[in-house]
This record gives sequence, structure tokens and C-alpha cells, in this order.
Amino acid sequence: MSRIETEHHDGTSDATPGGYEGQRRPGELVFGAVMVIASLVLLWSAYGISGFEALSAPGSVPMATTAVMVVTSLVIFLRDLRLPRVSGETVAKDILPGNVLIVALMLVAYGFLLKPLGFLPTSALFLIAAIKLLGGRGWFWTVGVALGALLLIWIVFRIVFTVLMPAGIVPEAEVIQAFRNLFAGGQ
Amino acid sequence: MDSLLAFLTVFTQPELLLLVGLGTFAGVYVGAIPGLSVTMAVSILISFTFSWDVYPAISLMIGIFMGGVYGGSRTAILLNIPGAPSAIATALDGYPMAQRGEAGTAIGITTVMSFFGGFIGIAVLALAAPVVSDFALKFQPRDYMLLAVLGILLVGSLSTGSLVKGIFAGALGIAIGAVGRDPLTFTERFTFDLPIMQGGISFIAVMIGMFGVSEALMQLHHVDKTAVRQKITRIVPSFGTIRKHLPLSLQTSTIGVIIGALPGTGGDIAALMAYDHAKRVTKKPEYPFGKGAIEGLVAPETANNAAVGGAFIPMMTLGIPGDAVTAIMIGALFIHGLNPGPMLMIEKPDMFWFIVGALVMANFFMLLFGLTGIKLFTKIVEMPRAVLIPLIMLLSIVGAYAVNNAISDVYWMLGFGFFGYFMRHYGYPLGPVILGVILSRLLDDNWRRAIISEREDLGRFFHGIVTSPLSLVLFIAVILIFVSQTPFWARAKKKLLGDPAEKVEQ
Repeated sequence: MSRIETEHHDGTSDATPGGYEGQRRPGELVFGAVMVIASLVLLWSAYGISGFEALSAPGSVPMATTAVMVVTSLVIFLRDLRLPRVSGETVAKDILPGNVLIVALMLVAYGFLLKPLGFLPTSALFLIAAIKLLGGRGWFWTVGVALGALLLIWIVFRIVFTVLMPAGIVPEAEVIQAFRNLFAGGQ
Repeated sequence: MDSLLAFLTVFTQPELLLLVGLGTFAGVYVGAIPGLSVTMAVSILISFTFSWDVYPAISLMIGIFMGGVYGGSRTAILLNIPGAPSAIATALDGYPMAQRGEAGTAIGITTVMSFFGGFIGIAVLALAAPVVSDFALKFQPRDYMLLAVLGILLVGSLSTGSLVKGIFAGALGIAIGAVGRDPLTFTERFTFDLPIMQGGISFIAVMIGMFGVSEALMQLHHVDKTAVRQKITRIVPSFGTIRKHLPLSLQTSTIGVIIGALPGTGGDIAALMAYDHAKRVTKKPEYPFGKGAIEGLVAPETANNAAVGGAFIPMMTLGIPGDAVTAIMIGALFIHGLNPGPMLMIEKPDMFWFIVGALVMANFFMLLFGLTGIKLFTKIVEMPRAVLIPLIMLLSIVGAYAVNNAISDVYWMLGFGFFGYFMRHYGYPLGPVILGVILSRLLDDNWRRAIISEREDLGRFFHGIVTSPLSLVLFIAVILIFVSQTPFWARAKKKLLGDPAEKVEQ
């Protein structure tokens, strides 16, 4: 296969996936091992669907597919085993640096808070925290940009596309109705 | 004469003209917002246009369809996030062009080529609909299965990474597509007895997670990097550029129309196949594929817009949807008391010609809206990354939630986002995962139909392949594409022809 462009070794573009040719990045072996185990679990699960009952059974394509996954993940893992490790790279610096880990945890927290707290407060908290963390600008700028962007997104999605996001603690429907009444002349 | 009058209706009635224009404008932006699919927009529109007359309702939907297929390319170019699956291939070369500061050029070429491809598709719909639909009718289940295998085998040529990692990713995509209850027997597959798994995994959630969240996480490594200022002085491509790529665009438009006309396939598969075709036939691109080759933009964009016209062929002549959007439009026609299919062509030819006219108009509007407003759009990439990255993450979450109003889709999206992040770091291409999810159903259903029709006998199945010219051609293509991607082939070629790769990569 053709060579991998070194400036894209982190896989920023899908056309030039990350990694190095002829070397293995920190954590690559663990990832490969997880893929092998996951593929084996999926193959076992696929076998459990209908076994070797018939070629047209619901489990036939899943079994064939997961068998391909097992073989290819094993090939990748065994090949990685033989490769030398990239020098000068560490997991903490190049794969999972602090800000990636923190933002990932913030996304998980967002996912869990979205339903109980509602779209507007959760998004406001997420945007303010993320922009402050990444931008390092003053609170006034951070809060202004975060809330301005959130308002725009809310108008586009909630009002124009009528996408119903979880309301949570904010009485969203009542607020919209109040505005409608205002523009309808209080009728 | 009546047909001509029906064709011209949309051009002569200001109300219809306005609706097509409005639909196309909205479609461009709906298509550009990741997670907001054209399918979703058109299905929402049905509820609004329920009480309208059929012509205005269809005008608006056609505008959204045409604009939406094109619109996905914008975010693919500017943010490496395809707004729609049909723009996945566009991101491969469009984003590297934007990284070079040539977003305006990329969008200009994309627009003109989409317009060109759109016209080819409409022309084929108008002139050769019965012939193409006859051809599509001849496809047996085993041919669809072979077509799906062919699509999956494109994985190796879709990326410049390792073939074995590409195949792993494609197989993973098929497995993801199989999660949930089997539609034929209702048997649970890969559900692990968890209720959240029984409804399957939303393809949109996988797509947004893999392309949106993982990309945003990747960008965190470069949060201090200043954005590349986009050169948007020349948006309309030169006549020379268009003329140079005309032969390729004609070939890929043809691919687009044919793939679009095959029921169950759509602009996404057409774009990927056209991209692969361009990679094979282009000997000396100015930039290598995957690093900003113009041919890598021309091919998918002509094909996915040509597929729009193609998708209407089976819909109008057979009543079989060419893709998800035409499936919804069949529903819309039913709501308005029309029965799409062969009888519609006989009883209501005016409807057919009106749709052709509306498509032509929508294509013109797409060109107009595509070539204007780009400066404003490109400002997105000049925003500070500290603001842009959290916004992409927020839009991804809203988009994933909006599809089914389900929080579980947000969890899936985040899970695939984190997984995709590691895949990117370790050289696993993401495109094949999405391709696998798209093709999973096509492969699974048609394999089972084909083998049942051969009474579960593999010998009879292969006999069927070698005795049917169509199946044989597809089968040989599968073998050739597989062999051409193996290291053995590369070594043999190198031995025979030397190493031309070095020249291409310079």
C-alpha cells in the first residue's frame, strides 16, 4: 500500500489515516489486543444467533463478518507485535493529552445531564467550560461567546427546525408560548 | 405538447418557482449541517405540506433534495465532517484543499460539477428512463449482493492506509449494521439481551460520532494552531479546469445515474464508486488522491448529484424508491392521491414531466446558491478553534438527538466518537466503517434471498453466477478489485513496470 504522510500521523484526515508505517505508536498494541478480544466476543455472539443452521439463517452474514474481523485483527496484532515502538511518543503526551481527556469527560457528563437538566443549561455549562478551558480568555468574552452561540443554535434548531431537545428544568414551551402571545398582541 | 406544458409549469408560475428556490436554499444548509439529513427534512416537510396542492408540495421537496445532496459537501470541505453520507468521499480531497487555504476553489469546483452531474442525471431521467429501469429490473438478489461486496472491497482504495485495517473496518461496519432485530425473522442479533440494542444502532449516530466527535477530539491536539485563511478570490472555476475534467465528470455522472437508479442504493454509494473510478483512471493528478486532488472532488460530486435523477427513474417508472428520500416522496405522492409506478407514467404523464421541470429548476438554483454566500460560509473555518471545537461537539450532539429524539443515540454517538478517535490515531480508516453500515442491509438481505432461491445450495449459487452475464461481470469485478489491492499484485506490478508510485507521491 502507499505511504502514510507523516504530518497526518494523527489521522486528522480520513484519507490519510494516522499511525506510522513500520512503527507502532504507544498504546497501539493494547488497542489491537482489545480489537482481537472484541472480535472473538462478536464471533461467539454471531454463532449464538443461529449457529450453522442454514446458509440463509439470520446469523450467517454476522458470522462471516465477525470471522473476517477475527482474522484481520489477529493479522494486525501479530504484525504490530513485531514492529518497533515510535521513539519520543507517550500516551499521555501524544495519544491522550490532558485537554482531550478533560473534554471527553465533559462530553460524557453532558450526555448524562442532558435529560435531567435540559438542553439549554447543559449546553451553556458545556460551552462555557470548554471555551474557557481551550481558549483561556476572560470570563466576559467566554460567557458572551458561549451564550451567543447557544442562542443561535437554539433558534435554528428549536424554532426553525422544531427539533425538540429535552427541556429539563427550563420551562421552554411556556417561554415560547409567552413570546407567541406577545407577538399576537396578547390575545 | 401536454408534456411540454407540464415541464414548463414550474418555470411559468412564480409561486412554484419560489418554492423550488426556497427548498433548494434550505436544502443546501440542511445538507451542510451534520446530523440534519435531507431524509429527515423531507419527512418533516410531508407533515407541513399535507394539505397543500401536489405541485407546490413536490416543488419544495425536490428543492430540498437537490440542495441537500449538494450541501453536504460544504462541511466536508471546510470541517472534514460530511454533512450527508453522499459527501463522505468529497471530504477525502476537499478537506486537504481547505487545509491548503483553497476552500473557495474546492467549493466552486464542487458546485459546478454538482450542477453538471445533476443535469446528466435529469437528462437520463427524461430521455432514457424506461431503458435504465428495464436494466435495473434485470438485477437478481445475487447481483445486489455482489454489488454490496464490490462496494465493501472499495475500502482499500478509499484510503491510503493498510488494506487489512480497511477490511477490518468494513467488516466492523457490517456488524454494526446488523445490530438489532433481523428484519426477516425478527431474531435478535448482537443485542446481548440489552433493550437499548434491540432497535439497532442509528447510522446517523455512528456517522456523526466517527466523523464529528472524533475529528473534534483530534483537533484538540492543534487547538493553538491558527486557522488557515481561505483563498476565496476565485470561486467560479476557469473554463480550462472544467474542460480538463469534462471526460471524467461524464464517466462519473454515468456511474451516478446507474447507481442512483438501482433501488436501495443512492448518492452515497455512487459517490464512493465514482471516487474509486477516478483514482483508477487518473494517471497524473496535480495533487495525489487524499491530499487535495481536484479529480477527487469532481468524481463524487458529479456522481451524487447525477444519482438524484437516477433515483427518480425506478420511483417514477416502477414505484420502487431509488433511495431514502425518494421512498419518502413516494409516500408524499400517495398522500396526494397518486400511485407512483408504471401506471403513473401512463395515467399522469404530466406529473412525471412536472418533476423533471422542477429538478431542472432546482439544479439552476443550486448553482446560484452554491456560488454565492461562500465567503460567509468559509468564515466558519477562520473562527478560533477554542470556540469552533465545542460548537462542533454541541452540533453533533443536537444532530444525533434530533434523528429519533432518543438520548441513546447521543450515547452511541459519543461511544463511536471516542472509538473513532483511537482508530484515527492507530491508522484505521473510518470511511469503510460507514460504508459497511450503509451496505450491511443490502448485503445481508440479498445474500439470503439469493441462497434461498438456490435452495441453500452453494453449487447452484455459483452456477447461477457463471451462467448470468450480469452476475459474471460483477463477480469478475469483485475478484479483480480484490486482487488489485493485495501486496502480491503491487509487487508483481512493481517488478513488471518499475515503481511509478514515487513519481505520483512527489
